[in-house]
Amino acid sequence: MNGGSIPLSRFYIILNTHMKDMFSSLIENAAVLVIYLDKNKNIVLYNKKTTDVIGLKYAQAKGKNWLEVLFRGAGKTIKKEMFKAVLDEALTYKRAKDFECHLLNKGGNLRHISWNITPILSKTNHVQGSLLIGHDITEIHERENSIKNIDGSLKNIISSIDEYALYVTNLDGLITYFGMGCATMLGYSKPEIIFKHVSILHNPNKAAAELSLILEHVRLFNKFESELELINKAGSAIPVWLTVNQFLDTNGKLTGYIFIAKDITETKKLEYQVFQSEKLAALGQLSAGMAHEINNPLFVISGKLQMLKQEKLALEFKKELDLIDSQVNRISKLVNHILKFARKTTLTLEAVNINEIIEAVLPLVRYNKSLPAKVEIKKHFQKNMPKISGDPDQLQEVFLNMIINAYQSMPDGGIIKITTSNLSNRYAQVQITDTGEGIPEANLKNVFMPFFSTKGYGTGLGLSICHNIVKGHNGSIELESRVNQGTTFTVKLPFM
Amino acid sequence: MLYKILIVDDEEPVRDLLRDLLKKEDCLPITCSNQEEAMAILKKDTFDVVLLDIKLCETNGLEVLKNIREKYANLPVVMITGFGFDEELIGKSKQFGCSGYIGKNMPISEIIVTFKRFVKEAKQKGASS
Repeated sequence: MNGGSIPLSRFYIILNTHMKDMFSSLIENAAVLVIYLDKNKNIVLYNKKTTDVIGLKYAQAKGKNWLEVLFRGAGKTIKKEMFKAVLDEALTYKRAKDFECHLLNKGGNLRHISWNITPILSKTNHVQGSLLIGHDITEIHERENSIKNIDGSLKNIISSIDEYALYVTNLDGLITYFGMGCATMLGYSKPEIIFKHVSILHNPNKAAAELSLILEHVRLFNKFESELELINKAGSAIPVWLTVNQFLDTNGKLTGYIFIAKDITETKKLEYQVFQSEKLAALGQLSAGMAHEINNPLFVISGKLQMLKQEKLALEFKKELDLIDSQVNRISKLVNHILKFARKTTLTLEAVNINEIIEAVLPLVRYNKSLPAKVEIKKHFQKNMPKISGDPDQLQEVFLNMIINAYQSMPDGGIIKITTSNLSNRYAQVQITDTGEGIPEANLKNVFMPFFSTKGYGTGLGLSICHNIVKGHNGSIELESRVNQGTTFTVKLPFM
Repeated sequence: MLYKILIVDDEEPVRDLLRDLLKKEDCLPITCSNQEEAMAILKKDTFDVVLLDIKLCETNGLEVLKNIREKYANLPVVMITGFGFDEELIGKSKQFGCSGYIGKNMPISEIIVTFKRFVKEAKQKGASS
């Protein structure tokens, strides 16, 4: 061997010493708490980090019971007992265990420590002691918590506003993110729509024009906002307020578009109802004026006619006069109906039970011989219904009209279901469902308009009068209908 | 003669019809077309009842009713209208002290019967007060 070299045995000794020093130093300066306990669970050694956290120098702790050292002055606490149990379990079953607890440091602040407890076994598999390695995760935990809080509240906010749908496309218009509310509003699940072109959500006849307008707008003004219709999976149009923004990456490069759609179905419905009510009110005024102008000459014609009929006339003249009389009567009835529609009625309000109102109407329908006989009426009345403030006569007219309508829609017979229910103690709801011919969609928006009738008889004023009466009671009236399946009228009237 | 009646209506055919109908009922109807004429006639003559159109061209029938009430507190006035049963108008007419309310849309026979009933009631009420 050359000079300067050392024998192998010596090398091992040096290496051993080095390693020992190196390990001691590693343990001493480790960023984790390292504690070694003997088999009686007394402290054999711990490192600097442990001193830092528990605020007790090693010299003062050496040989003392581990729990007394870690939980100095804490008395008997649940955590202390649990930690003891976990260590006992690790030793009994000779298996490593994890545990988390808080320790009070020198400054009086709580530190959150995540422990790993490993039993140290002899070659004969006997417990020699235990090694406790603790990570101070106080800061990490705080950060996690705050993120969880933000995340939680964001989720709460987003899920509570399910009339919003948020989705993102890439520059090619392929949907890359389909977020909260989308499934509810648009009916597609995430896997169904991811990487589909966004035009799937637009009316196929307008999609190209709409999307190029949107993207052009975003390119020019960074933002697009407008009211339009999206098409859901079932193919129905949903009125939305759509906002489209640029989606930029962290370098500010355009990578796609963010779409936020707000469902405005309810707003649209309300707007339509207001529009409808205004139109009806205007029509009412016009009709009243017209009816008055017709009533005067009609009064003269029918008066003179009555006088003429009392004269001694040839039979053929009398017959002619009867014909004129019947036609005048027809006009007179129509004018009366118009006046009824147009009248400003003063409601005679009293506390009424909606079930009793409907019960009172049913005999009037049953004994009406002009109605089809093979109709069965099924009643599902809510018991203990609170009272509403209403005009019994007028409300009876509303339900009579609706039930007669239901009858007339089923010339070959069928079932009329009358259901009353209590809507969150705020509204009495009455639903009248028939199994009749239904109303084509194109006619649905006209049914409450005066003079609208598809029956070929009647004045077409019945439902517009119902509409006015229900509005007068601060209620609402709606209908749903499917051709050949039937129609449901829903009337909601506020409780007193 | 059953009743002496002043008919106030701005439409001649309506006036004439009412006159003819009431004549047949053995009444004595006198007609005029506006407030001025009506007040002049009432000044000169006494009537059992006034039959007054609610919608006169120049003046509102309700105003005429008010004026008659002020000057002839016990004279029954029956209102007649082409508006049918407009509850607002009925309410106002009652407030101004009319004795009854007739719609021109009622069947003719009913109009006469109702009119006579109103006059009878008004007269009984006047006699008892």
